[in-house]
Amino acid sequence: MIVAAALCPAPPLLARELTGGDAVLPELREACGEAIRRLLRAEPETIAVVGAAAETGLWDPASRLDLSVFAPVARGPAGTPELPSSLGLGALLLDQAGYAGRRILQAVGQDEPAAACVELGERLARPAERIALLVMADGSARRSRRAPGHLDERSAGFDAAVEHAIRSGDLGALAAVDPALARELMATGRPAWQVLSGAMRALRPAADVLYAGDPFGVAYLVASLSTALP
Amino acid sequence: MSEPVQQAVLRLGTRSFEPRERLVMAIVNRTPDSFYRPGATWDEGAAMDRVHQVVAEGADIIDIGGVPAAPGTAVDTSEEIRRTAGFIAAVRGAYPDVVISCDTWRHEVGRAVCAAGTDLINDSWGGWDSKLAEVAAEFGAGIVCAHVGTQEPRTRPFRVSYPDVMADVLEQTLALADRAVAAGVDPSRVVIDPAHDFGKNTWHSLEVTRRLAEMTATGWPVLVSLSNKDFIGETLNAPPEGRLVGTLAATAICAWQGARIFRVHQVRETRQVLDMVSAIRGDIPPARAVRALG
Repeated sequence: MIVAAALCPAPPLLARELTGGDAVLPELREACGEAIRRLLRAEPETIAVVGAAAETGLWDPASRLDLSVFAPVARGPAGTPELPSSLGLGALLLDQAGYAGRRILQAVGQDEPAAACVELGERLARPAERIALLVMADGSARRSRRAPGHLDERSAGFDAAVEHAIRSGDLGALAAVDPALARELMATGRPAWQVLSGAMRALRPAADVLYAGDPFGVAYLVASLSTALP
Repeated sequence: MSEPVQQAVLRLGTRSFEPRERLVMAIVNRTPDSFYRPGATWDEGAAMDRVHQVVAEGADIIDIGGVPAAPGTAVDTSEEIRRTAGFIAAVRGAYPDVVISCDTWRHEVGRAVCAAGTDLINDSWGGWDSKLAEVAAEFGAGIVCAHVGTQEPRTRPFRVSYPDVMADVLEQTLALADRAVAAGVDPSRVVIDPAHDFGKNTWHSLEVTRRLAEMTATGWPVLVSLSNKDFIGETLNAPPEGRLVGTLAATAICAWQGARIFRVHQVRETRQVLDMVSAIRGDIPPARAVRALG
């Protein structure tokens, strides 16, 4: 059963080592840290990190982000270069919060149809143990003229709808996000949102949004989702 | 790594350049919206004035482009030709022997500008249009083979990562160089370019700068386009108009490692840096040496 969830974006700059001399968005890292702390308060036996990747599949839970794929001179413990960065950043957030319990690293394919994502979420929720989800997902990367994908006027409405679904606990709405539109808007989080939908929509969780913004033209949303479960 | 291959003569237009010569390629944008001094040479008269100036300052190559690299207002093929081909013909008329390069990724544009007198196609989007090399071959022009990772023309890199960025640079640029030669381009007219900032974050661009010798060791002439780019801006926390010193520092590092063509906005300053590097390497004598010799 799912006891709680945290939603965090997955920009590489979450790793402090990658932003050089300037901390860049410490408030984003702090919000993510707070979301993880709340996740741990639900006393999960397992945390499942869910993030979009080239293909759906499970990764070795011992895998860690390899900073050198972004910054060849970065110093730090060796990671797994092939690990999807969404999962690597999720693993980093768990490490930073001191979480040493059981974890699952679940990649979900960027082109996975919505129904398959939802089904994957249902499967993750099925075991009787207490499971928390850490969903690493970004909104549109076309939010401004300086954005990675330049400005697409549709991105604001698209991301607002996702944020509304999270805030209102109406996770069923996430299952209806159009994959084709998400791809056009460079919203890489779409499959992970839909896994979250499959895992938690029946619970209608209460959400607390800890950060919402697009300082680099990509929509970041940090939220803590709690359930009425004991 | 395999043994370094010696650099050979580079031919561009009617000119031949020895490996010890370091060439300045001056940027002349026929655009209203490029990132550095946007619109400065949008007017054709202003653009020709800039050509006169950069030739006087010692530019070896004039690189003329009609489309900015960044996303923005669409420029279709006919508009790109309208911006570049006639102007190139005018530059050719004014300077019969200067090397003219055209920055384009479209073969239709390549054909029009080669007919107008272009000597070198600066395919800065990394072989996106495979017919461009055939056009270069048809006209006896040269071609620049650039690394852009998986980026499409006029897009920005998004969270790019590489197990080894220089390995990827070498793989892509050498494959493009081989493809150009197979298409019939004279091998002495093929140039490779790591394309700083294209398909790269700042750390990646610093890495390819640091490891540029791995490119020059291939024997292909290496072009670097560093001028006032974002990786310099991010490194020094400087806006576009505050990046000259950083550009020149990177220029010196690349020159020392054997790069041969430097695509720049500031010709006079670059020429001085390259002459200084050439003198330190012993490739040219000082302009005038009398100190302690009298």
